[in-house]
Amino acid sequence: MTDAVIYDRGYKAYDGQRLGRRATRRAIVKDGIRRILGIRRKARRKVLPWSLLAIGLLMAAVLIGQLFLLGSLAGATAEGLPSYPELFDLYSRIALLFLAITIPELLGPDRAQGVLSVYFSRPMSVGDYLTGKATAYVVMAASIYLIPQTLFHLGAAALAEGGFLSYLGDNLDMLWKVTAAAFGFILIHGGVLAVVGAYVDRTSFAAATFLGILLAGGNLAGVISETAFPGARFASLLAFDDHPRYVRDWIFGSDLGSYWPEQAGFDPWVSLVVIVVVAVTGAAWVYRRYRRLA
Amino acid sequence: MTLVTEPIVAIDALTHRFGSIVALDHVSLEIPPGVTGLVGANGAGKTTMLRSLLGLVHPTSGSVHVMGHDAVADPIAVRGVVGYMPEGSSLPKDQTAADFVAFTAELAGVPPKDARRRASETLYLVGLEEERFRYLGDFSTGMQQRVKLAQSIVHGPQLVLLDEPASGLDPAGRVQMLALIRRLGGFGINVIVSSHVLSDIEETCQSVVMLDAGRLIRSGPLDARGSSAAITVEVLDDPQPLADHLTRSGLDPVVIGHVITVTTGDDSTFDVILDGAAATSSGILRLGRAAVTLEQEFLLQAGGTPS
Repeated sequence: MTDAVIYDRGYKAYDGQRLGRRATRRAIVKDGIRRILGIRRKARRKVLPWSLLAIGLLMAAVLIGQLFLLGSLAGATAEGLPSYPELFDLYSRIALLFLAITIPELLGPDRAQGVLSVYFSRPMSVGDYLTGKATAYVVMAASIYLIPQTLFHLGAAALAEGGFLSYLGDNLDMLWKVTAAAFGFILIHGGVLAVVGAYVDRTSFAAATFLGILLAGGNLAGVISETAFPGARFASLLAFDDHPRYVRDWIFGSDLGSYWPEQAGFDPWVSLVVIVVVAVTGAAWVYRRYRRLA
Repeated sequence: MTLVTEPIVAIDALTHRFGSIVALDHVSLEIPPGVTGLVGANGAGKTTMLRSLLGLVHPTSGSVHVMGHDAVADPIAVRGVVGYMPEGSSLPKDQTAADFVAFTAELAGVPPKDARRRASETLYLVGLEEERFRYLGDFSTGMQQRVKLAQSIVHGPQLVLLDEPASGLDPAGRVQMLALIRRLGGFGINVIVSSHVLSDIEETCQSVVMLDAGRLIRSGPLDARGSSAAITVEVLDDPQPLADHLTRSGLDPVVIGHVITVTTGDDSTFDVILDGAAATSSGILRLGRAAVTLEQEFLLQAGGTPS
């Protein structure tokens, strides 16, 4: 006869530590990053984000390899390899594809699957929820822009004739310039994505809508801005993908292209204002939407 | 000695208007500790009331206090001590049960390590220990309902609001879910459960709140329900002639099928009914004071159907 005993473990009320709303927001950030990368999700959810990240890192690795082969950053630039501001253009399509799935993935499934009714029954506000999601977006978007730039910077420093630390010291301004330029892209893309992601539930549809607005819509706006209608030039302000590039050139003092707002006669500070307005409008829009959903 | 207990919910003159629609109309009630049923037809205001208790909707007028917290002024404090199980689909299909329940615990301020432990414990409690690492999209309706119940208690709330917890379940699943809800009451968790199925409420709850078209029609303990002076008479053929006769005699009969119920009256009412049966040549199968089921009481008071 066995001595085994069946225990009913029952239920024990939780009497442990309770953290505040900052911890709640942190949990949302962690969950958001996992969701974007497909971590603790089925394998097929990991394919797209990790593929794009891998391509981004591979491009950085190839560039650094070429840098080593050519011996210096100056030599590499002379041979046609990209400089710091040009790296943004090199990565822009990969980054754009990656960003296109971030906010839709952060917002859409919660809404489509009805999970918001559970989340908002917890001690947190709509602001906490959206702050957590926005932080997750910024962390991931900054990663896709800044990790390759950082690797490139460190590679250039390692090859510098004056030494690694000397190069870093001489190029301190690159830190704020690269960061500021990256945030131009992150903010305006985030603003557009917030509006799209607030309404389109399916990630693939939302991503396609975002890319359509940015790429096709931007060119359409540019073409309209060149017509003879009074005030037509203001249509160039809707070429959202051109604003961060125009501001990037302003920051680096470079001239890497011709942008619709520039052709319509706007100064780069106008593009900076548009970036801020789109970001703030997107945030306000999504907040208003979620106040109704909560 | 009389045991005095503070109400877990105190609502005073609560009114909710959505445009021209009045979802709740000057509802005032107190809910005692224990398991309470919230019943009413579609559109009666049950979900609006549950959302009011969570502080998710701002009332047009009136006040709501839950576990001593003002749900209007401080909804975050209320949600810290309340758990909620929504009616509809509310689970992420691409997460495992353990991950989702642990995440909802973290949202309530439980540290990550404790959250994972609590998730395992509560999933065990609802009978999903073996399945906790499976994706929620692969779960049956019954299993999903259990996960929803688990997330509502994982953070150790003092009160749990369950919105149609047995919805979509087969008979066996329904019995198991009701048993789980009774267990929660046994563990000292206060429960407010809304349901269309009034027999479920009778089986599970100690007290009941009835709503009809936004109005409160009854609030109190379930065991006080049968003490009314209702008299029922079951008629062999068409009950209408006898019902008409009783109406002419000054009574207030309600006809449901072949059963006429007279809600008020003393023992002399029996004589009136017998005289009426003789006068209308109605054959009587049964006459007497019978315990009124919750469904009968709802039909009598609301004059409608509960679902």
